[in-house]
Amino acid sequence: MIYLDHAAATPVCRKALEAMKPYFAEEFFNPSAAYLPAKSVAADYEQAKNEIAHCVGAKGSDIVITAGATEANNLAFTVVGRNHGKAAVLYLETEHDSVRCVAESLGGAAVKVLSSGVIDLADLKGKITDETEMISVSLCNNELGTIQPLAEVAAIIREVKMDRMKRGVKRQLLLHSDASQALNLMDISVARLGVDLLTLNSAKVYGPKGVGALYVSHDARLRPLVVGGGQEQGLRSGTENVSGVIGFAAAATEAKKHIKSNRLKYRELKRILLDDLQGYELINKKHTLDNFAVLCYNGLDAERLVFLLEERGVYVATGAACAASKGVRSHVLAAIGLSDSEIAGSLRLSLGELSDAEQMHAAARIINEVVTKERARVDENPSA
Amino acid sequence: MQTVYVGMSGGVDSSVAALLLLQQGYKVVGVYMKNWSQDLPGMKCPWAEDLADAKRVAVKLGIDFEVWDFEKEYREKVVEYMLNEFRAGNTPNPDIMCNQEIKFKLFYEKAMERGADFIATGHYARTINGDLARAVDENKDQTYFLYRISEEALAHTIFPTGEMTKPEVKKLAEKHGLHNAYKKESMGVCFVGEVGMKDFLKEYIDMEPGEIREIESEKVLGYHEGVIFYTIGQRHGLYLNGVEGEVNDGLPYYVVKKDVKNNIVYVSKNLNSDELWTDELKLRDVFIRSQMKKEMSVRLRHRAPLIPATFDGEVLKFAQKVKRPASGQSAVLYDGEICLGGGIIA
Repeated sequence: MIYLDHAAATPVCRKALEAMKPYFAEEFFNPSAAYLPAKSVAADYEQAKNEIAHCVGAKGSDIVITAGATEANNLAFTVVGRNHGKAAVLYLETEHDSVRCVAESLGGAAVKVLSSGVIDLADLKGKITDETEMISVSLCNNELGTIQPLAEVAAIIREVKMDRMKRGVKRQLLLHSDASQALNLMDISVARLGVDLLTLNSAKVYGPKGVGALYVSHDARLRPLVVGGGQEQGLRSGTENVSGVIGFAAAATEAKKHIKSNRLKYRELKRILLDDLQGYELINKKHTLDNFAVLCYNGLDAERLVFLLEERGVYVATGAACAASKGVRSHVLAAIGLSDSEIAGSLRLSLGELSDAEQMHAAARIINEVVTKERARVDENPSA
Repeated sequence: MQTVYVGMSGGVDSSVAALLLLQQGYKVVGVYMKNWSQDLPGMKCPWAEDLADAKRVAVKLGIDFEVWDFEKEYREKVVEYMLNEFRAGNTPNPDIMCNQEIKFKLFYEKAMERGADFIATGHYARTINGDLARAVDENKDQTYFLYRISEEALAHTIFPTGEMTKPEVKKLAEKHGLHNAYKKESMGVCFVGEVGMKDFLKEYIDMEPGEIREIESEKVLGYHEGVIFYTIGQRHGLYLNGVEGEVNDGLPYYVVKKDVKNNIVYVSKNLNSDELWTDELKLRDVFIRSQMKKEMSVRLRHRAPLIPATFDGEVLKFAQKVKRPASGQSAVLYDGEICLGGGIIA
């Protein structure tokens, strides 16, 4: 197997797996229970939350644990006033559906990206009004790996806030960022990024699935989506996912340690892969995570390539896994100006822990073979 | 080289149909017909998985593959028809309408426009001298669902799996490494299945509670959610309190009659109730494929046994009483293996 879809899912790392084990059948107690063994589990849970928070320069009490990044993104949008609908929200047009769908339901407006996939800051400035309460811009795009200049967005927001104060406009303006793809490849600090809300995802950084976290600054007032026993400061009720959070903490801590070496490793592996591959156009040339390569084979159907590669034991994606399984064309690739035929011919390769140099050579050889064969088939049947 | 457009559902039958056509030397184009994609409460529509399965097979076979979107037409021609029939108190068969209006009409016409010589599907059926004929695998024969397809479409249709048995089809799929060889079959009604029909209808038709009465005594035994949600012969899903003071003998009640106008469902414990049995059935919307014969056999539901009958163009007569099928279902006539046509039970 050659796995080139780390942006969709990552294998749980050994440290996380080991760390989680005791919390299934031995340290299984409900952290809210009164007796000492349960209190010990509660302490371990809080410690794990602290570790996760430390990875982004925050405190454990500043994060809310959720069942994944989608829930964290949904929760983030509860900062928007209840009776305040129109264009209170701005979001980047290339955001993941878990941001896009909520933002659209709140009547939000989309901010354009440039052909590089980077936010069009002029468009952002033009769209902020006195009604705007929240702006959502992901740190890294999940289909292209594009890294957004969040500090610049935060600077714009600061100016707007100053101006609002000067004019006596009392509306809040908060910056949310989905950092799901980035924790293992970027040194994230909530202070440096200037975000008020930050979404983290365990499943993308070699932790267990179904665990996420939302960092919440003291300026943001959330409303719970799930009510009940009042866990997570009342913002997310439900018995704590102790093993999941322990696993997330171990994975995040491990990832944080190796950011530099990972980036160098993936940069080198990507170079090998791109050198060996033939007949493609690289879509995400600049401002992108080191482990993402989006290749366009114009005139071919990338979905066919996925199935052909699957037969050869190479696993790749056409776009976001959730979008592909719905048969929907990528809104991200459309946003950066690709034609329908270019979108149909685009493959997303994302490297990770399972990748090495030998695999890159092998993957490139197999992809080249499959592409050559498929090109020949298409040329034979020009009607298709 | 002749070109065949084959409707590929992602199931093993249509996958093997494509494989066989390829082996027979045709140029084959696979098409997934996207007829429905909406999830319903408790029912996830599997269209995306089915599409991926179909495409994976097409890629494996090295054939062209397309997705044709008929969702709008399916809603208009099949779902609307179905809802109207239910509203009228009937129990329609949407698969028969889907074949008539979508697969052997819209799909056929579009394929011909695109230069096809033939279309093909994975249906278990055959053509003999241009006539629609039952499949070799009597257990899987699907001509019951095909009796209303047009002569013109049939003349340009190949049923590659009609000569094979289902186990042979599965074995062939496995031999050629088709991943869906043992995929679970889709249900009778393509998108909800019989079990889900009531839930499906509730999305479109409001509940209208009414009385359930025992037909012999006219006593009210319980209440129902709307007469159209019930089918003659049904014995599950009835909320009955029984008659006060009477001992419950544990015998089930069957729906024997629906009074649509007064919104009353009639039930009976008597399996020999006259309402449940009949020796004749009136047909409407009769579709004649071939000259009717004196001695014919008829099938009153998919895979039901063939029973001898005579037909005068309007009324089917049986030598012995048969269990009365729900109105809106089809009666399909055969002379030996040949499907002569049929009609909708009035």
